[in-house]
Amino acid sequence: MTGPKKPIPVVTPWAKPFWDAANARSLIIQKCKDCEKVVFYPRLACPHCLSGDLEWVEASGKGTVYSYTIVRSNAPSPFLSDMPYVVAIVRLEEGVQMLTNIVGCDPEEIRCDMPVEVTFEKLNEEFTLPKFTPVKK
Amino acid sequence: MSGLKGKVAIVGIGEVPTGRFPDKPGIYHAIESARLAIKDAGIDKDEIDFVMPTAAMFSFSYIGELTTARVVEELGLKNCKKNCLIFSGGSSSSTGLQMAGGMIASGVAKVVLYVHSEKLATALTGQEGIDLFSVSGISPEWEVPYGQHYSTVAALATTRYKHETGCRDEHFAAICVSNRKWAELNPNAFFRKPLTLEEVLSSKMLSTPLRAKMSNMLFDGGAAFILTSAERARDLTDRPAYVLGEGGIVTHHVYSQEADVTRFGWARAAKEAFDQAGLAPKDIDVAEIYDSYPIYQLIAFEELGFCERGEGGEMFLRGETWPGGRIPCTTDGGMLSKGHIGAGGGVSLLVEAARQLMGKAGERQVRGARFAVETSTGGTYMDSQVTILGTEIP
Repeated sequence: MTGPKKPIPVVTPWAKPFWDAANARSLIIQKCKDCEKVVFYPRLACPHCLSGDLEWVEASGKGTVYSYTIVRSNAPSPFLSDMPYVVAIVRLEEGVQMLTNIVGCDPEEIRCDMPVEVTFEKLNEEFTLPKFTPVKK
Repeated sequence: MSGLKGKVAIVGIGEVPTGRFPDKPGIYHAIESARLAIKDAGIDKDEIDFVMPTAAMFSFSYIGELTTARVVEELGLKNCKKNCLIFSGGSSSSTGLQMAGGMIASGVAKVVLYVHSEKLATALTGQEGIDLFSVSGISPEWEVPYGQHYSTVAALATTRYKHETGCRDEHFAAICVSNRKWAELNPNAFFRKPLTLEEVLSSKMLSTPLRAKMSNMLFDGGAAFILTSAERARDLTDRPAYVLGEGGIVTHHVYSQEADVTRFGWARAAKEAFDQAGLAPKDIDVAEIYDSYPIYQLIAFEELGFCERGEGGEMFLRGETWPGGRIPCTTDGGMLSKGHIGAGGGVSLLVEAARQLMGKAGERQVRGARFAVETSTGGTYMDSQVTILGTEIP
């Protein structure tokens, strides 16, 4: 590996369970116990009803590509050695969206609305990033 | 819902060229822009009772100088009651105008000097610029670790927009060409050589489908304006640029949380602004639409109601937005051709809207321009801000 170190997530205290779960290869999101809506990214209070009573639930890990791009040049320094890499917004079945990388496929095969599922990539001893890969046909 | 309609007006504008000026410190762009704006307004500098600088992104210590009233001291303002920084990234023009306008309309301030200055080209290297914009306004927890930066942000909107509308890469290239046509006529623009669709479409691929010539470049520069009450404005000039309508909505902080990256909040913000002004898109003579990347100019242009969704690209291709076209668009050349000066991209467009209305746009003057719309947005397109200005109050 060349170039500067990869940026690690700057963890918000109440998001720590999410990152701990990712280390154990599990994707969890929040659900509001009062209005029952799902929430991502992790919040201190439900952004729908401002309830402070949120619980963690296991996500299906399945979703679709809302949009994507293949980074071919002018990446931020820590990512120069990764090019080409794919940045995507994935919409989970549960209805929430997250930024991710699409991995494990030829970038040229990626399309909007393509079904994808979660996979996990270890960043270092401390962090594992949830990423997504096309669902095998 | 009257808002600021007809209550305040821009009476003076000042601007320095956008470019690479290693020998000029950030404060040069502020002082010179402000001085030109005061001169243009024809006011005594000591009439200014509120100074509103906008933050520059190149240096924290420079932000400190602006915060602690360097502009007031440099200009020797004797009656400045308050100096207060205003910043919402690229939409600082709209937020500043609205706050300054509110203060004037309520009698809290009489004459506000708004000033922007930036030194992004010569205070940073090219890679430092990319790196700054891979963390600035991008979530350090949810996006930075995935290699998100401003090219990918724009590319993600472009990919989805193409998917939903069938719009082609040449349409985005056409926006770059349109803005260049205007920049050719703007002595303050950095890129002034003619540009062709082919040059845009064969330039280096950054993040698909975004190419190098569809991307803005960072520069040094600055602009300023003087805002006062409509009554005072009429004493100073017979062509003030009245604020007629304002609309805005903040739609996200983290880009990947945006519900619709092909629309954002433009339709809602535009409706608010047009309703307040009592005008419709057909009444607009000049549309100063925030670009930074062609996708954003296209989305806002369509969502504001200048055409149906998915049809804007053809209008840019046909030259309807060029000099002499049916709806002149982004007439200073925008960030794509005039150059990106941080929050100043929006300030530049607001100043250009006032310039066109005041009849001071020289070679690129849109003849008889009475009504103009200006848009701006900050962060990763976190908000949609729409301002309507005019030489008369409808």
